[in-house]
Amino acid sequence: MTKTGMTDARVLQLLETYGAWPMAWPEEEREAAEAHLAAHPERFADVLAEARLLDAAFEAEPMAEPDPSLAARILADAPQSRAAREGLGVRLSRLLMPNGRRWPAGAALASLGMGLFAGYTASASSVAAPGFETEAEAVVYAALGYDQYETYLEEAPLDE
Amino acid sequence: MSDAAAIARYDDFLPRNSHGRRYARIVSDYSERDQIARAAAGDRLAQSALVNRHMPVVWRVAFRMLRDRQEAEDVTQETFLRAWKMLPDWEGRSKFSTWACTVAINLCRDRMKKKAPVLMETLPEREAGDLPPEQALHQKQAGARISALIDALPERQKEALTLSALEGMGNKDAAAAMQVSVEALESLLSRARRTLRQALAEGQEE
Repeated sequence: MTKTGMTDARVLQLLETYGAWPMAWPEEEREAAEAHLAAHPERFADVLAEARLLDAAFEAEPMAEPDPSLAARILADAPQSRAAREGLGVRLSRLLMPNGRRWPAGAALASLGMGLFAGYTASASSVAAPGFETEAEAVVYAALGYDQYETYLEEAPLDE
Repeated sequence: MSDAAAIARYDDFLPRNSHGRRYARIVSDYSERDQIARAAAGDRLAQSALVNRHMPVVWRVAFRMLRDRQEAEDVTQETFLRAWKMLPDWEGRSKFSTWACTVAINLCRDRMKKKAPVLMETLPEREAGDLPPEQALHQKQAGARISALIDALPERQKEALTLSALEGMGNKDAAAAMQVSVEALESLLSRARRTLRQALAEGQEE
């Protein structure tokens, strides 16, 4: 046994198990085994030659390759990203309505409420007692250049 | 340079044999976790990288066990289908390659249990490259012979040899993929190699 703890038996076992190529040996033993082999090459010459012969045979073993279309078929089953799953329509609506669809619905509801309120207050103020102008009518006559309804009747040109 | 780029560059320099098989593959756990997280979120680049890196190995393991291209494809697709479902909950307890090979091996074992033993199918053709005709023929014959010898090994020995010697998987990962101890893996490997050595020696004597 060397100071690294490597033994002849273990080097022989590595050669018979993993072959002659040190990169195939267990990583944690590789350095020590290589050093042991280099220090005593005569002890392992026969086993090393046999291992090399088998490694060379493996080199000649035909390595089959999968059909080139297999990768595409596998990727077709792969999970899609959120954006790809949702499609263009959803992405566009998210762009236009970043806070979601509740925002325009709320705005529409608020607009409706304000419209109803304005309509109600306008109609309420336009109701006047008989013989009296409403405030709205006074605004219209003033815009036409008359002081009030009577002046309008007196001065306005008649069709007939 | 990013971690992934650095690892990719390092990976390119790892020693390989003439088939391009890597004898050692060092993958950063961080980078694989990151890649899996991105793949689970639907990142097509990360998914492609995962498939390109691991699919050929999974397919070859399945092909060597089943000796049928279509069945090997089915097993590979099923393995990745399970992977896609499992990725969001991936906890990184094992390497993706180890996990995928474990799933593939179990699927192959299930299929082999269901069907009666069949004779080995025609071996796939391999391009001889630029070798002279005589040498190409010799290599083809040698390749066909070692393939036939590997196929004749007991299933567990064949699995161990495929993962370790042919796919270059480390001993711990190969043992994990087969769900056995490292000692058991070494025992399977040494028995497989002994059988092959004897068969090759007998072939030379004939």
